[in-house]
Amino acid sequence: MTAIARPDEGPIGPEVPIWQPTTDLSLRPPLSPRQLAWRRFRRNRLAMTSLIVVVALAVIAILASVIAPYSPTEVDLKAFGKPPSLSHILGSDRSGRDVLSRLMHGARVSLSVGVVAVGIYLAIGITLGSLAGYRRGWTDAIIGRVTDTVMAIPALLIILAVVPLIGRSPLNIMIVIGLLNWPAVTRLVRGEFLSLREREFTLAARGIGARDRRIILRHILPNVTGPLVVLASFGMAEAMIIEAGLSVLGLGIQPPDASWGGDLQAATDVGVLTQKPWLWMAPGAAIAIAVLSINFIGDGLRDALDPRASGVRR
Amino acid sequence: MTLLSVRDLVVRFQTHEATIHAVNGVSFEMAAGETLGLVGESGCGKSVTSLAITQLLPVPAGRIEGGEILLNGRSLLGLPEAEMRSIRGTEIAMVFQDPLTSLNPVMTIGNQLTEGILAHQDLTPAQARVRAVELLGMVGIADGQKRLGTYPHQLSGGMRQRVMIAIALSLKPKLLIADEPTTALDVTIQAQMIDLIKELTAQSGTAALLITHDLGVVADMTQRTAVMYAGYIVETAATPELYARPRHPYTIGLLNSIARIDREPAALRPIEGSPPDGTHAPEGCPFAPRCAWRLPTCWRENPLLAADDPVAPVITTGPAASHLVACHNPATPDEVSAGRPLRQGFVAAPNPSWAALNPALAAASAG
Repeated sequence: MTAIARPDEGPIGPEVPIWQPTTDLSLRPPLSPRQLAWRRFRRNRLAMTSLIVVVALAVIAILASVIAPYSPTEVDLKAFGKPPSLSHILGSDRSGRDVLSRLMHGARVSLSVGVVAVGIYLAIGITLGSLAGYRRGWTDAIIGRVTDTVMAIPALLIILAVVPLIGRSPLNIMIVIGLLNWPAVTRLVRGEFLSLREREFTLAARGIGARDRRIILRHILPNVTGPLVVLASFGMAEAMIIEAGLSVLGLGIQPPDASWGGDLQAATDVGVLTQKPWLWMAPGAAIAIAVLSINFIGDGLRDALDPRASGVRR
Repeated sequence: MTLLSVRDLVVRFQTHEATIHAVNGVSFEMAAGETLGLVGESGCGKSVTSLAITQLLPVPAGRIEGGEILLNGRSLLGLPEAEMRSIRGTEIAMVFQDPLTSLNPVMTIGNQLTEGILAHQDLTPAQARVRAVELLGMVGIADGQKRLGTYPHQLSGGMRQRVMIAIALSLKPKLLIADEPTTALDVTIQAQMIDLIKELTAQSGTAALLITHDLGVVADMTQRTAVMYAGYIVETAATPELYARPRHPYTIGLLNSIARIDREPAALRPIEGSPPDGTHAPEGCPFAPRCAWRLPTCWRENPLLAADDPVAPVITTGPAASHLVACHNPATPDEVSAGRPLRQGFVAAPNPSWAALNPALAAASAG
């Protein structure tokens, strides 16, 4: 039997000195909530990888016309529907256009649809939600009913009906998605405001004579940033999927202009689906990777910004 | 000179279930630079009174349904919100109970300190920050320049309350309302905060309305004390007088239920029962159900706040303020230390609505 060392039997191993901090911890510059969140986010490998992917996609989208080997609409008369080769790395489509170049330009459409649509609905949602939650009373009642009404509208149906009427441009699609998706933001912001306006710091701000505008913008809204950023990132992914879906249905960006969804439409042809996988695999993968990455970023942000998670993984 | 005058203030809360009678006709006055303690159990209307003065009651539930509030002779009730806003901070400032929840977690200390200064004074942000550092120094935070960029969670509880006090005093208000400023702090810090508030208000001649349930705090820092119960002021006097010669059974109960270093621990006597919930306008004296001194009248008639000494002229402010008490049967000095009535054969009058059910008790309540 092995004897269990007891403290009074002396040290087991070599004497271990008591740990002394080598630096004065109190002198470390204090971290702001944002810095703390960034620190937590950085430790999330999946989210960080996704962030790099999305940033890379954004760079490609911005520089598409510089770095793409061909113009997205340029027709190569020697390569109609050719598989990947040295001259066309990802192959060419049935009209002889370079798939890789179209993919790069398509990133512009997808990403800007995400950003602009979400921008539109955040603007509407934050304005209405903060008014409803802060003012309450009849303001809240009216905004609440309008929100419910818009929420009850089947978005896809409206898009299918309206987009052909107002023109199938990317901007119109962004606007329609933006105008139909704000209720979720409004509800979130309203709910947060309802609870935050009752907090003592709001009372304290009023006690020092701050105006409503200032209380809304400086005191309450920054406290809602976390959930809003998360909602926005998931919203972006969703908007990109809607756009891609519309383009596949032929309601989005019209050929010959490049978009991921539009190129995916080729897969509706059984011949292409079975015989020419390079035509749909690339845009399909692009959509999947972009949407997944943005969702992972959203997850990472949620974990990083959730105050209940603070201090757990430091 | 009278700085603040509250007359017959009535505040009620309308909820879905009931009307809460929070404040039922409170009157008091404060002279410039005076310190007044408002004490009582939780839910007796202390905080509501202070929120009514600054008109920060939660609307639409809380409403001032009667009375007057005058600041420097000007009525605050019915002032438009814009004017009320210019009074808050500059004339009346508040320090709240919990410094952690009263500071915005996502704003730096600097931004919160300069908030009032920028809202009310014509200073540039840079000037406001210089002033903020000055204010931090005033409340005993030395490296103010560095602290401006910190967030509330990076400061200790005592530091946060110091910041709250600095914010409240940033515009040199005439009246500081401190609502339980020490409740959320540990005991050693409590004493520091009391000293700080006392010192700073004395220096600047700021009147302080201290709301607390801690009689020790009141004894330490106020010139005058008003005891509230169920939305009424039941007794008020200069603080030393009130502690030396309490008359109202409720005040006596409060004094007997705090631990004092100069008394046997066994002498702690809690007040039995709990305060009324305020859903009904009380009939008779609101304290009667818990009172050992009650007379049959106490069940029927709510006593008015009246001078203990009926001959002398009533003085409402200052250290020579009259001792006022609202009681049909105030306690005598020996009864105060005993904590119960000592009169031969005295029995607290039973509740007449119970007595009606029991003839034996009815006889007692009639006598």
